[in-house]
Amino acid sequence: MSQGQVLLSRRRLLKTAAKAGAVLTLPYVVPGAVLGKDGGVAPSERIILGGIGIGNRGTYDLGCFLHEPDVRFVAVCDVKGERRKVVKEMVDNRYGNRDCATYIDLRELLARRDIDAVLIATGPSWHGTAAILAAQAGKDVYCEKPCTRNIAQSLALAQVFRRTGRVFQAGTQRRSLPNFVYAVELARSGRLGKLQTMYAHPMTLNVQSSGWLPAEPERSREDVDWDLYLGPAPWRPFNAKHLRSFDFEEGGGLVGGGCLPWGSHCVDLCQWANDADRTAPAEYEPKEGQLHARYANGVRLIIRMNGWLPLGSCPVRFEGDKGWVETGDDAELVASSPALLAGKGVKIPGYPADFHIRNFLDCVKTRARTRSDAEATCYAHIACHAANIALFLGRKVCYDPAQNEFPNDDEANRLRSEALREPWRL
Amino acid sequence: MMSKSRCLAGCVVLLVGSALVWAAQAAPDAAANKEKERQLIAVLRSDAPPAEKAITCKRLAVYGSQEAVPALTPLLFDKELSSWARIALEVIPGPAADAALRNALGTAQGRLLVGIINSIAVRRDVEAVNALAEKLKDSDPEVASAAAVALGSIGGAAAVKILEPALADVPALVRPAVAEGCILCAEKSLAAGQSAEAVRLYDLVRRATLPKQRLLEATRGAILARGPAGIALLAEQLESPDKAQFGIGLRTARELEGQEVTQALAVEMNRLSPVRQPLLLLALADRRDAAVLPLVLKTAGGGPKALRVTALEVLVRLGNVSCVPVLLAAAAEEDAELAGTARQTLIHLPGAEVDADLLARLPQATGKTRQVLIDLAGQRQIDGALAAIRSGLQDADAGIRGAAVQAIGVMGEAGQLADLVQLLQKSPSPRERADVEKALLAISGRWGASCVPPLQALLQSSDTTLRTVGLHGMAVAGGPEALAAVKAALADKNETIQDEAARTLSTWPNNWPADEAAAEALLQLAKSEQKVLHQVLGLRGYLEYVRGDKKLNNAAKVAKVRELLPLMPRPEEKRLAISVVGAVRTAGALELLTTLASDPAVAEDACAAIVSLTGRGLPGASRQQRQKALETVVEKSKNDATRKKAEEGLKEIR
Repeated sequence: MSQGQVLLSRRRLLKTAAKAGAVLTLPYVVPGAVLGKDGGVAPSERIILGGIGIGNRGTYDLGCFLHEPDVRFVAVCDVKGERRKVVKEMVDNRYGNRDCATYIDLRELLARRDIDAVLIATGPSWHGTAAILAAQAGKDVYCEKPCTRNIAQSLALAQVFRRTGRVFQAGTQRRSLPNFVYAVELARSGRLGKLQTMYAHPMTLNVQSSGWLPAEPERSREDVDWDLYLGPAPWRPFNAKHLRSFDFEEGGGLVGGGCLPWGSHCVDLCQWANDADRTAPAEYEPKEGQLHARYANGVRLIIRMNGWLPLGSCPVRFEGDKGWVETGDDAELVASSPALLAGKGVKIPGYPADFHIRNFLDCVKTRARTRSDAEATCYAHIACHAANIALFLGRKVCYDPAQNEFPNDDEANRLRSEALREPWRL
Repeated sequence: MMSKSRCLAGCVVLLVGSALVWAAQAAPDAAANKEKERQLIAVLRSDAPPAEKAITCKRLAVYGSQEAVPALTPLLFDKELSSWARIALEVIPGPAADAALRNALGTAQGRLLVGIINSIAVRRDVEAVNALAEKLKDSDPEVASAAAVALGSIGGAAAVKILEPALADVPALVRPAVAEGCILCAEKSLAAGQSAEAVRLYDLVRRATLPKQRLLEATRGAILARGPAGIALLAEQLESPDKAQFGIGLRTARELEGQEVTQALAVEMNRLSPVRQPLLLLALADRRDAAVLPLVLKTAGGGPKALRVTALEVLVRLGNVSCVPVLLAAAAEEDAELAGTARQTLIHLPGAEVDADLLARLPQATGKTRQVLIDLAGQRQIDGALAAIRSGLQDADAGIRGAAVQAIGVMGEAGQLADLVQLLQKSPSPRERADVEKALLAISGRWGASCVPPLQALLQSSDTTLRTVGLHGMAVAGGPEALAAVKAALADKNETIQDEAARTLSTWPNNWPADEAAAEALLQLAKSEQKVLHQVLGLRGYLEYVRGDKKLNNAAKVAKVRELLPLMPRPEEKRLAISVVGAVRTAGALELLTTLASDPAVAEDACAAIVSLTGRGLPGASRQQRQKALETVVEKSKNDATRKKAEEGLKEIR
């Protein structure tokens, strides 16, 4: 068993601290505290939350946040009028009032001094830029995945959250689910022997570039603010087909799609299993319909579509020289020996985010690192982006995670970043 | 304006920008790439529509050289294509791209100018410093702010010379960006080993009138740049009544390196309020130096409970074998919270030497400590502990026996089932029997068919409760022999055993290929006419088998449910059948649900399933079939929402 793998219940600490009986002596009063006293949580202990771009996945996340007694959601920002309406209704119904404020422009929401933290679920094109803007505005961030468009943005994310001291949690909730945690523990603790090969499911290995569809009549700003919807993505005329936020820009613009959608979960888990949260594989090679990567410590990472046990979506498999384990969203664990599974935790299928969101909220209070902090997110995404670059170029690429460059490979280096549309910057 | 056909052609080019197409174009052939670049430049110089020029810019990001720069430059002033042009210009190597962007500073306005400045920042063009200094004075705050951040990104003495006075001079709207520029310069100084200069810059920002977040960033930087000398400033944050300052203090307490810092923070912890102390202790535990462990261990051993609980908890991340005595003592304490926390930490404390230490203590331990050690041996699955754990099964102390049962459940193999069976046979306590059953089932689940022989001993008991446990064990173990034993129990003389066998069979796991025979047994039970309870259990079990068996195709699932319907007089089973069929996306399922919608007892359930099924798309279902099903819903359903959805579906079909 190695350090960092064990889940620490900070929630208990917070409860203990609250029970200590000492009144919080801080004069700092969260302005949002006047919003109510239900839930049995002292107003000064509440986390005042705002939401940016709350679509399907965001609505699920928001539901989890709303169930936490120490959260008060006060404002939603969305460039789509319909989503603003739906989310406001959801929140107001929950609190029994009409207080949830609505914004079209995220900068207005971020300017509110009462908001402590934001949930960002805009779609991948905006995630990284919005998260960085939020941190610079003094907000802690829970951000859905994929979190970045490219390698440069991944590095900027880590750097900005380090500089600002804000708390970041990527929506990679499998880091908080018992079956995945158990499998990772087996790999990290040496119970599988020396780790040899890890497998991650990418959802797809087809890399895509963003498109430009024929112009359609632009809608009113109240309906869809097209300029803000495009945000950091290069300009193109309005077309309703672009409005599927998760697919827009394929999550990466110049080099998108590929292993980003699920890799941000599965590759991320492999990074964790290999104790590689502060680094990334050094080699990436498309091979026989798979992507083969290798870390400097010799561990191999194979990103593949097929060859999985029927254990549900987002499966991972870790193989050591003494055993292996495989798991997926069904929450079942299959291992080379029954003995490896003795002591596994409760089974929680369906990849819920509650535990992960709770971890974020606890860290907002303790200022500790979250399970999926900005650094871990940075390098897991770098691994996905580098893999996509290899797929895009159709050849092997080598990456130096210390220098964050592809040595002597101008073609690949050029794909590390992509200019943001004015006026946005990282 | 471009023609529609040309525009569409452009779209096709863009959307087919897939890996294969690009990969083929990315062949490492310099001459071919040069030719490609020439063609791309020609597109930019032509009257091609913007869509085509946009994708051309992207391609030039990969293939462009300084020869592409003159063709890209005019696009910088095109509000539709400027951002596309910068995608290429930001990454094309060489001074030509720098010069193009620098020159554009004099002409571009507003947002386009902001974008150009941002690209200069990305390229870190040192020669642009003077031009950016001019832009810092721009009346447009967005332009001035972009220039400030760009100067920070470039860094160096020249940039600092411009930013430093600007911190006091610029309008309030631009000041946060100037501060950001200064902080970026400070970071560069620190990275270059010029910590005094970094401290000077951070302090400069800290003294300015700025939004709080910028001040916090500067404070963090000022502490870290000072090194151990930053302790005083760090302590100031931790003692601040301001929540945000305390927050940045906690964050920075994790970053500022050095054992002397740890010692100072330990002293600082004593000055804080009881509410803040555990928070600082958590921060201390995240530090990685040798001074941390003794401090946390001391706190774990005694003092205020809240702090002890936190210390016991964090030891899991930084503790080692030296912590075992303190943890073990805490785990045996009366206070449930302290004991529980210590136990959790001992379960997860890393290191084989911890296992060895715990194992060595086990033989001579007594009372509560022995109970804790047996529990830990099981939870940690300590090799070599099994003998001691087994001996615990004979202990007179119920607590120790309970720990031993649990531990065997976690790490036992088929060979230990006999011990458990023995204990089960002699224990009079229902609670203990329940614990033993849990352990027995856990082992059976892990070791499968090899557990069947010892379980047979239970089935042969005269005690009905023990025979019931045996049946449960068989179901968990699975396999043909277990199934045969349960089937045989269906014909037992004892009616309670018959019922339990039927119940066991109805929840038989159906995902083991070896146990497919369970389906047949369930069907027979469903068709048996001896007892309604058995029929119902058989039906339910069989329906669950149909739902869960991954080898059954959709058509077979629907056919099996259809075949079973005449055996279902009760609405409860029909509802279960509807939920099974409702998950099968075929025309056959729709048809069966439409039939069930005519049964008043389950019409509403069938209607809801039809609406859900038609709303998700049905491969193979004709328009007429969908229409008929939805019309049935409109006719039969009394639920407004269901009817409304059916009407909407009909509208779409028509």
